[in-house]
Amino acid sequence: MDPSRRSDRIVGVLLLLLSIGYGLEALRLQADTGYLADPLGPRAFPLLLAAGLAALSLYLISRPDLDPAWPPPRVLRGQLAMLVSFVVYSYALAPLGFLLATTLEMAFLSRLFGASWRTGLQGGLGLAVVLYVIFVFGLGIPLPLGSWWPA
Amino acid sequence: MDVLTQLAHGFEVALAPLNLFLAFAGAFLGTLIGALPGIGPVNGVAILIPIAYALKLPPESALILLAGVYYGAEYGGRISSILLNVPGDAGAVITTLDGYPMAQKGKAGEALALSALSSFIGGTLAVIGLTLFAPLLAEWAIRFGPAEYFALMVFAFTTLASLAGKNPAKALVASIFGLMLATVGIDPGSGVPRFTFGELKLYDGVDFLVVAIGLFAISEVLTLMEHSFLGTAQRVKVETALVSMKTFLTSLWSILRGSLIGFFIGVLPGAGASIASAVAYTTEKRLVDHEGSFGTGDPRGVAAPEAANNAASGGAMVPMLTLGVPGSGTTAVLLGALMMFNVTPGPLIFEQRSEVVWGLIASMYIGNAMLLVLNLPLVGWFARILTVPRWFLVPSIAALSFIGVYAVNNSAFDLLFMTGIGVVGYLMRKAGFPLAPVILGLVLGRLMEINLRRALAISGGDCSILFASPLSKALWALALLSLLFPWLVGRLGRRGR
Repeated sequence: MDPSRRSDRIVGVLLLLLSIGYGLEALRLQADTGYLADPLGPRAFPLLLAAGLAALSLYLISRPDLDPAWPPPRVLRGQLAMLVSFVVYSYALAPLGFLLATTLEMAFLSRLFGASWRTGLQGGLGLAVVLYVIFVFGLGIPLPLGSWWPA
Repeated sequence: MDVLTQLAHGFEVALAPLNLFLAFAGAFLGTLIGALPGIGPVNGVAILIPIAYALKLPPESALILLAGVYYGAEYGGRISSILLNVPGDAGAVITTLDGYPMAQKGKAGEALALSALSSFIGGTLAVIGLTLFAPLLAEWAIRFGPAEYFALMVFAFTTLASLAGKNPAKALVASIFGLMLATVGIDPGSGVPRFTFGELKLYDGVDFLVVAIGLFAISEVLTLMEHSFLGTAQRVKVETALVSMKTFLTSLWSILRGSLIGFFIGVLPGAGASIASAVAYTTEKRLVDHEGSFGTGDPRGVAAPEAANNAASGGAMVPMLTLGVPGSGTTAVLLGALMMFNVTPGPLIFEQRSEVVWGLIASMYIGNAMLLVLNLPLVGWFARILTVPRWFLVPSIAALSFIGVYAVNNSAFDLLFMTGIGVVGYLMRKAGFPLAPVILGLVLGRLMEINLRRALAISGGDCSILFASPLSKALWALALLSLLFPWLVGRLGRRGR
């Protein structure tokens, strides 16, 4: 097996599993078909898709492309840190409020892209305030103030 | 004659103060989004949809804004192509070939002015084409039955597959992935919940916006993490953007040919601005480059692709509006936006929602004129935007994506889902799966299934109805041909050598 074509094979296997899982889930759908208005019912189209995906994933496994250049560990760590911060931000937005959460998130992301904490915090605070003013006062779209703070 | 009265009504809509302002805002933001490497028109439109939605704009106003961003971005993309040799978006890649050499020769101002004029001519000719062809196509498409629609959508996916990426199989996988996402939720035909795993939030289906922003913007931010090049531009100074009459006239034929090529490539499903500009450039190179000056800063090598990419964005509106079948990733996002506003594009839109279509078309004439003004005297200002440091720009894209998605439902679940889709989008980009088919699949999935089921309901379950009429036969043949196209080209190319 050609080691430089591993990525597509792995993707192909995953897609095959997806098509099987999706197909099985489609089969579980109630098949009260057969009445005149809708001879196909809710199952047919998903099954068609599952069959198409299965065929394509087999093709991909048999004819894989060369592997892409996956990023080096340093970049991967940065991307992972970014994703973790997105998850934290998603949960922190409502309790911390838009201004604080966004300032901190922006500072963290700026840091990942090479700024110092200080410049990152300044830029983050600036952007958060400007966006808050535009959205809340300019466009009338409410943003969370933060449920942790006393009103 | 009828077209002119309709267009006049359209101008009444487009000239209303709010819509005039939105056309300007769209043009301005579009130029900005196009100019900044890293955010292309798809991201820009996707991020703006929630804002337009939260503002409760009427559909025609929202469309005027979003379409302005779309065609405005094709103007803006050239700025960093010419000044920095870094294309601002995919449609402006070809512009670097002669644009950057012109800038190095000290003719940056001339290149910017000429490309702005070419963009204007290409964009305006495409709107004229849209005005003339769209109603005709719509009239013809009214006769489409469900079987024809189903075949047409298959055709859209196959052309996109053969043109969108290097590997058609991967593009088809992406299409099916999008179609699968579209099947999540209550089945419109039978009322059965499908693929929801009991999750109530999924009963209404996968939120189109969350997927679009995650897939394009979040994956883009992850991708940008990889490149630490691009450094913040050295100081770029452009004092005057002027082009001599002589240079303009020598480029005029290239502009007109580029516009024509761009418009027709734009109309084709799947082929957008990037392919149009590449075809226009190679055509000009073959036709007029007798001294071998293309690639060394020939003005015609800037004019033709810039005319073509703007014409393509106008052309791509034709199938989106008249058939409800978009021709590119960005028009697929626009179509999804329209559906959020409860407008279903298709042949009937010209009768039922004429204020939306004609208002949009009229606003595109106005928007192109505004863009010309923005991009000639103010180009130096936009060039200065390129010096915004990356540590600020990229996190801002992320912040805007999060606010946009949050503004619609105020839900942390949506934000997490968007992040997840962003990871999927990033992995797809890396592994060579194009993203546009996913959005096309998500947007068209329901209609495709409904039409398939309607067709079989008419025939009582007999599948031959899908191939019965001459029109559907032709569409199936075209679909097959477009799938075989890359393979045929490969074979012919080998024989030619």
